[in-house]
Amino acid sequence: MMTWIKLALRNLFRNRRRSLFTILAIGLGFAAVNTLGGFTAYIFTSLKDSYIYAQGNGHLSVFKTGFLQEGKLDPTRYLIDEEEMGVIQQVLARHPEIVVVAPQLHISGLLSNGKVSTIFIAAGRVPSAVRRINEHARGMIGKIQLFDGKSLEDDVIHGIGLSRGLAEQLNLDLGSDAVAMAPTVSGQINALDAQVFQLFDGPVEALEDKLMSVSLKFAQSLYDTGSVDRLTLLLTNDDTTETVRAQLAGELAAEGLKLEVKTWNELSTFYTKVKQMFDVIFLFTFLIVFTIVVMSVINTVSMAIMERTREIGTLRALGFKRRGIVGLFAAESMLLGILGSLLGMVLTLITWSGVAFFKPTWIPPQITRRVPLEVYLVPDYMLYSILLLIVLSLAAASLPARTAARMQIVGALGHT
Amino acid sequence: MSRIGPPLLVELRQVGKVYHLGESRITALKTVNLSIHRGEFVAVWGPSGSGKSTLCNLIGLLDVCSSGTVRFEGQDVAALSDDQRSELRNRGIGFVFQSFNLIPVLSALENVMLPLQISGVSTAQARRAARKRLAEVGLDDHAAHRPAKLSGGQQQRVAIARALVTDPALVIADEPTANLDSENALRITELMRRLNSNNGTTFVFSTHDQRLLERVERQIQMRDGEIIDDRSPEQPAMRLDRSVGL
Ligand SMILES: Nc1ncnc2c1ncn2[C@@H]1O[C@H](COP(=O)(O)OP(=O)(O)OP(=O)(O)O)[C@@H](O)[C@H]1O
Ligand SMILES: [Mg+2]
Repeated sequence: MMTWIKLALRNLFRNRRRSLFTILAIGLGFAAVNTLGGFTAYIFTSLKDSYIYAQGNGHLSVFKTGFLQEGKLDPTRYLIDEEEMGVIQQVLARHPEIVVVAPQLHISGLLSNGKVSTIFIAAGRVPSAVRRINEHARGMIGKIQLFDGKSLEDDVIHGIGLSRGLAEQLNLDLGSDAVAMAPTVSGQINALDAQVFQLFDGPVEALEDKLMSVSLKFAQSLYDTGSVDRLTLLLTNDDTTETVRAQLAGELAAEGLKLEVKTWNELSTFYTKVKQMFDVIFLFTFLIVFTIVVMSVINTVSMAIMERTREIGTLRALGFKRRGIVGLFAAESMLLGILGSLLGMVLTLITWSGVAFFKPTWIPPQITRRVPLEVYLVPDYMLYSILLLIVLSLAAASLPARTAARMQIVGALGHT
Repeated sequence: MSRIGPPLLVELRQVGKVYHLGESRITALKTVNLSIHRGEFVAVWGPSGSGKSTLCNLIGLLDVCSSGTVRFEGQDVAALSDDQRSELRNRGIGFVFQSFNLIPVLSALENVMLPLQISGVSTAQARRAARKRLAEVGLDDHAAHRPAKLSGGQQQRVAIARALVTDPALVIADEPTANLDSENALRITELMRRLNSNNGTTFVFSTHDQRLLERVERQIQMRDGEIIDDRSPEQPAMRLDRSVGL
């Protein structure tokens, strides 16, 4: 065995430049896939943490069944009232892994500056609960303040936050007074005085001139109700999301409540879309790398076979079987794959430590502040890359190697 | 039918070989009958294109004939699979080529070890046997040299050591001296002669150099894909149609 590997290795050294370029191609491909993979891993984690912690949405949300589809048409029917809330709280209390329970009521209506008014939509949340969710965030995410001004408080009902677009439309600034109007759950028009406490950037363009944030009590007063439309739950551990969801769904159903429990990634359409996009980019990069690796290995092995035809004939004459010839070239291309992967690992580590050292920053979509750009090292990706590149190299070599093995010995020796 | 003397090693009966080159057919061998016994030293000679290499390739199991039968140690070669022929070549036949055909990335010693390693002999054992053979051809002090560092004559001696390392029944040398100067050509021929008489290894070697035929006991002369003469200088008549009666 060692003899043949030694032979394969020496054969690779025969045409150093060609082998080097193939190894380089494999290494660069490896590094490209793994760096991109590490970057997407960072993006996914950031988006996830941003959704769960920074935006305070938690891991799980509990709704009345059907709220997400028809809640807007018949608000009263899909709201969770105080009595139901009591039952739910009891169920939740049995789960120590739920660290924060934050009720919300999402509202919409008109916001007026006294002269003109425009449509707003707002999430009514408990500011202290949101802050507790923020505090659970790992690293940077929890510390980024996403607004200018002062924070909302549970009991300072009239304090609201406006997206900059909305504030601009009504010519409002920090400290300005405004009036929010909306129909109550029973259909009367209600109005509530408000003061602009904070300004923030809307997460998407379409909502930039509509979004408002208010305390839960503000939302409930405006809608004249004690109900909420959802409960958001923060868990101790991201990985338990699915299990806790299943347990809760079962336990809540057992209490006779028609509720559904949604996970953060079911609700975060942005995360899903970005993930899909990056998955496509990743797939493309991967296919390009795949093609380059396969082509350069096929090229290297074919050239080697052409140059060494007489040698193949000699080995066959000495008693090498066909599969021995295939094995010899397979060993050579496997070594190319291994050496390429090793180089790729080194290049990935260099990129990774470069990013870790220089700490570049960037402005990702949906966030308006500069944040550090990171690339994660994902051992799983590395392992799969190594295995895949070796398998690819082997597969690419098998075609020309088979042809070599099928050559007529006399022809290969060169008829004299 | 019964013969006294050394046993039959190779037998060719009504053997023909046709090459197909696109549309055209080239008859390299017409109908050849030939028997080679163990321990013989056989020279095949004739002009270029007469079929010497074709004959050597068929005897050496490197190629299969288009008609007739080739038997090696009594076994019909056509009935063997490619793998079985490879095994038979590995253990039973040694090759010496016109252009030496050493593996350039292997040292002289490693080249000689190669046939043993193909058959799965341990590295240590292969090395021991190879050293012995290198010493036999007088190159034990060149064991670590790569072929490129050796002269043509030295390379061919390494090739002979490689051909002998498995103790084969037969060594085929197709024009082993064609790429050598006359002095080296003589030395290589002498070496083969000596190995033949010392070890009893059967040699079939082809050449178109008449001078090398001196003192070769059996000479097969070819022309246009046929054996036109098969004799030993000492006993001219006896061997001519020996194969016919078998
Ligand atoms: N692979 C092949 N394809 C087509 N024709 C071939 C092939 N090998 C040999 N021939 C033809 O068969 C005939 C016999 O060739 P062979 O090589 O056996 O002759 P030779 O006696 O060895 O000649 P030389 O002294 O030149 O080596 C020649 O006409 C040659 O052109
Ligand atoms: Mg020839």
